[in-house]
Amino acid sequence: MSEATQGQGQGSVETVTFTLNDREITVPKGTTVMAAARLKDVYIPHFCWHPGLKIAGVCRFCLVKVDNRPKLEIACNLTATPGMKVSSVLPEVKEAHKWALEFHLVNHPLDCPICDQAGECKLQDYYMEVGKYKSEMDRPKVLKPKALDIGSELVLDTERCILCDRCVRFEEEVTKTGALGIFNRGDRAVVGTYPDKKIEHNYQDNLVDICPVGAFTSRDFRFKQRVWFLKDKPAVCPGCSTGCHVDVYAKPQVRSYFRLKPRESAVNGFWMCDKGRNTYKHMNQEQRLRFPLVAEGTAARRKTTVDEALAALVGRLLAANKEDVALLVSAQYTCEEYKALFDLFVVKLGVSKVYQWREPTEDLKAFDGLLYRGDHNPNTRGLSEALKAAGLPSEVKNGFDDLVRQAPPLVIALGPEVAFQFPSLPAQLKQLEQLPFVSLWTIDGAAANYAGLKHLLPMKGFAEKRGHYLNFEAKVGDLADPFPAGSEDARDVTEVVAALSDLFAHSL
Amino acid sequence: MAGVVKVALPPRDTNLFQMAFGYTSTILTGMMKTFAIFWVQITGKEKTETLEWPEQPATYSDRFKGKHFLTRRDDGQVRCTACFLCATACPAECIHIVAGQHPSNEIEKFPVRFEIDILRCVFCGFCEEACPVDAIRLGPEYAMSGLSGDKWIYTKDYLADRGELHGGISSVKVENEKHFTTDHHPHGDDLIATDAPHMRHH
Repeated sequence: MSEATQGQGQGSVETVTFTLNDREITVPKGTTVMAAARLKDVYIPHFCWHPGLKIAGVCRFCLVKVDNRPKLEIACNLTATPGMKVSSVLPEVKEAHKWALEFHLVNHPLDCPICDQAGECKLQDYYMEVGKYKSEMDRPKVLKPKALDIGSELVLDTERCILCDRCVRFEEEVTKTGALGIFNRGDRAVVGTYPDKKIEHNYQDNLVDICPVGAFTSRDFRFKQRVWFLKDKPAVCPGCSTGCHVDVYAKPQVRSYFRLKPRESAVNGFWMCDKGRNTYKHMNQEQRLRFPLVAEGTAARRKTTVDEALAALVGRLLAANKEDVALLVSAQYTCEEYKALFDLFVVKLGVSKVYQWREPTEDLKAFDGLLYRGDHNPNTRGLSEALKAAGLPSEVKNGFDDLVRQAPPLVIALGPEVAFQFPSLPAQLKQLEQLPFVSLWTIDGAAANYAGLKHLLPMKGFAEKRGHYLNFEAKVGDLADPFPAGSEDARDVTEVVAALSDLFAHSL
Repeated sequence: MAGVVKVALPPRDTNLFQMAFGYTSTILTGMMKTFAIFWVQITGKEKTETLEWPEQPATYSDRFKGKHFLTRRDDGQVRCTACFLCATACPAECIHIVAGQHPSNEIEKFPVRFEIDILRCVFCGFCEEACPVDAIRLGPEYAMSGLSGDKWIYTKDYLADRGELHGGISSVKVENEKHFTTDHHPHGDDLIATDAPHMRHH
């Protein structure tokens, strides 16, 4: 990313040693003081500087004291030179922060009670850290347009804006759409879209993330929850084969998920796409399959326990020949789950019919140039490798039609987790209804609408299990810290396979 | 046992006459007082302090922290902006709010639902203190007994508009403190950036 322009990660051998807060630090030559501080975990307060964007130097907030220089200087645009002595903790620096903050807040509406940013707002944080003054402004605040519709995912409040121009730079440098600009001057300056432009790309919510105040808020998350009630855990986005590293924000006590935010990594930099941000919704109660549904014999399908559902499945597996059993596997599960599944069915039970369940309309080569890829599965690579390890053909190929044509008597299908990325899924589920017996393992609650599916098992979502995804370039995405499952009956494939193995051991 | 200190008790009073007189006289004094008040009240010479509650109403001070109510704006809408600060401050976690987008952009955020689980409430008054817009207050209503089938979750409508509130209580405090009114501004509406580009094409 453009961090390279700030001198980081260039791999140059030339280094610079200078003193920051009485600590001698060595950084690559050309690094700014701000970037160096970030490398060494020293925090210098700032609004407009962002590691993924070019330097603007407009907020005048990251002031630091450099020895033998008459005035304070901004750390973001100050290149570190040998022997320089920089301090970001002196009383005069704190005093400067305080006054800079007061200027930023002169026309700020202070509508924190109705602002979604409250709780993660830099203005609030810095006010508590260095502000705490009584305003000396005796003029009324300047009013500006509020709650503007400037994009499908965005709401803009120009009154809250502190004109740091991060959003303008994002539009110019990252998405290269240039829809935003700052108009007018002085205290009438507002951020906004050009007259004939709207923000329409797939990366709108990044503007919400980089906005240090509440000027940009997300339409999806708007007013849903206060951020201080949310708990976040790291995960990997299951929306496409890029596998962006994300933080999942949820309220576990009510089993609700609220949003995804990108987590800085070498895979995705600082960004993620809006499509990916929707991949939390299938884990919420109203959309997920919460309990097993099983039809025994000719009886109607009913809700059962997981134990009963698994016993029923084992009964059928024991009665069937291994040639009659087929696996239909989508590429949305973890490497560990594939290994457990193939160890049981392919290696132990000798099942050889394994089909890949893929979206027929997908364009594997598609790529928008930033992050979003045409392969809408997080673990296509992992599935291929697991197939190879199990001694099966491993090339990426949609085997759904082959399976339907052969119509094996017993199919175990691992359904796609992120259903909205599979436009053909309703048609495919209809086709599965026609088969003699399909045990569908899925998190997608819509599958329950297909009465012909005789055996449904609820699965865990990506934020609820441990495991690894391999992205398009075989980089590992780690699901290490799961939330408790949104439904007590939800299992991951590893758990289901372990339970099945136990049942087999007892019945043989 | 070593270490136990023996305390010499005063000799017991064994004078029977003295004992009998002492007890009887105190009892008699007490009974005389009782009968005197009984007489005064039964003859109606003095008014009794006891209220015939609930037929006779007893009002508490306005500062009493009793049943909650939600205040209203001048136009009758609920003042609450659904900022969740009361729910955050609440030690009993009894306030449940669902926020939504108000049709008017002036208000933006408002509570679609605002519920207080009154059985959990400890009447600490933190919600009142936390509220930045004087939207929730604890009133002088104290009689909240009921049967198990009664509604113990107070809804937004009940909190803002129950019969006891006589059409609702409006809060003018915030209206006066609002900085974004243009009335007193030397340039008035002139300062609203109507010439901003997005105002032109929306």
